[in-house]
Amino acid sequence: MSESENVKQTLLGEVARCRGCRFCVDVCPTYQASEGVESMSAYGRVQIIKYLLTGILEFDDSLTYSLYSCLQCRRCEVICKSKGQDLDICKIFQMGRSLLSQNLVQGSRHEKI
Amino acid sequence: MDVDLKKLLKNMAKIVGKENAFTDKPTSLAYAKDAMPWDVEAHNIPHAVVRPASSQEVSGVLRYANEKRIPVHTHGSGTSLVGLGRPKTNCIVLDMGRMKGLEVFPERGYFEVGPGFHIAKLRKALSPYHALLPAFPGSELVATIGGVVSVNTSAHAVDATLCKPGDYVLGMEVVMPTGEILQTGTESTRKPAGIEATKFLVGSEGLFCIITKIRMRLIPLPCFENIVAYYHRTEDILDTVMAMYKQGIATPMFFEYLDEKSSKVGFEAVGLKAPPGAVAMMSIDSSTQVGCEEKAKRFLEFLKIGNPIEAKIVKDKEEWAQIWSSRAEAGNYIYRLGSTFGSEITVRVDKLKEAFHEAQDIILNLESYQGNEFYSFGHIGAPTIHAYAFVPTKDIPNDVKIAIATEVREKTEALNVKYGGCGGEWGLTAQRASFLKKKYGDAYYEFLVHLKKTMDPNNILNRGNLEGWL
Repeated sequence: MSESENVKQTLLGEVARCRGCRFCVDVCPTYQASEGVESMSAYGRVQIIKYLLTGILEFDDSLTYSLYSCLQCRRCEVICKSKGQDLDICKIFQMGRSLLSQNLVQGSRHEKI
Repeated sequence: MDVDLKKLLKNMAKIVGKENAFTDKPTSLAYAKDAMPWDVEAHNIPHAVVRPASSQEVSGVLRYANEKRIPVHTHGSGTSLVGLGRPKTNCIVLDMGRMKGLEVFPERGYFEVGPGFHIAKLRKALSPYHALLPAFPGSELVATIGGVVSVNTSAHAVDATLCKPGDYVLGMEVVMPTGEILQTGTESTRKPAGIEATKFLVGSEGLFCIITKIRMRLIPLPCFENIVAYYHRTEDILDTVMAMYKQGIATPMFFEYLDEKSSKVGFEAVGLKAPPGAVAMMSIDSSTQVGCEEKAKRFLEFLKIGNPIEAKIVKDKEEWAQIWSSRAEAGNYIYRLGSTFGSEITVRVDKLKEAFHEAQDIILNLESYQGNEFYSFGHIGAPTIHAYAFVPTKDIPNDVKIAIATEVREKTEALNVKYGGCGGEWGLTAQRASFLKKKYGDAYYEFLVHLKKTMDPNNILNRGNLEGWL
């Protein structure tokens, strides 16, 4: 199994642990800053990564914006842990970003990176 | 149905502003998934998500959707446990999150609130007025008052003590699917008698209208005394509840239980020593502290009927907070170790024990999965039993997840039919259309369909919920 396939399988396993309770939505500062857009919350980003991995979502700019707007403040992880699930949410996002990175350097908007 | 997304986005942006209209797939997908265990499919993904800020904007969206015959799905916070939050067809998702204005009028005895206000924040905002918010969902950190009133659920509270939130709604502002904005009810604390729209729009699960403002009575906050009782067996708690109603004992406002296995998970989750068996927790209310203490003493005496190992009044606030939160956390922590498939069994009180045993038998003998475990907890004083099938893995194929959830739901709902119940907090549409027919018959179901057609002639609102689509 290739390294990238390994990352995908690890991520799918992590994401499957999400209960979908949405307790992490309201505590997310970018969700608050967007005045409540769920794709800008931790929960929304977990869904986005899941559908990116399963092929339902393809790379596009709005997806990149959702994933890269995470501040890695870990408020979502605090509430997730307090509700018994304890997902390593920020690590999931970091891994999701690394999966996207190949697309990023090829994308026209990010050629200068 | 083919929808031109660019055109839809442009038209929605004209109504709600371009920063509040989305057709990108990541945003649509974030709103498609809910707490249901199975994955979303293509038909669940919205065409667009719009976030109106006023009744006029809601009206504009609905007029457009009705004219173009595009379904509209209302989104509060998406925490429904029976799938009310998941679109059943490609649609416009109406996210009510921006409509969260609050005005409190103590001199009039009520408050007015937008549907997007979160329950926990609303409870806090009402605390300076010493007011009780009559809704206690386990998801109150994120659940909205709009969702609570739309489903008319008080969740944890005992109906015989507190009734339902709808009983405290004095009036509403609603937008009909055809765009008309209606004002219902009264500004007096005297509720209208006779035929009045509030009472049949509360609890209509987003099928008849979109609620844009809720006027609710300020309920004086009572005093509470709290009791915890430890039992050898869950059956002792069921005997106690059955005797409570039979003897006409005043019901507590809260009366929760954890069965033998759930209590261990819940107590350990909050850092308490695992109890010897099942646990019951009760909150007794009264308008005065003296009255409360007297009621609690009497209830403690009554509890002897169930032969508890120990029953005591808990005065220490921190100790009570831990015990109380063990009930809420049990469900969360059980899920941590695998997957759970739940039910709500709300049978006639005198059949509570029989229903519990049959539920246990159903859960432990599933056809769709072998090797699962049985856990139960719930608002037993209400009475509600949440019987759960626990599968000790998260690695379950999507079709098996659907099969387990469907089997658990249909077989436990058959208990509600057999023993005179119909659920009491999760709503009655979404996945429950077949239950409605079994419980009340085809004529009753057709009556609901006719009502829906009258209110929503083109069936744009929450399409698929009354139809029983997944």
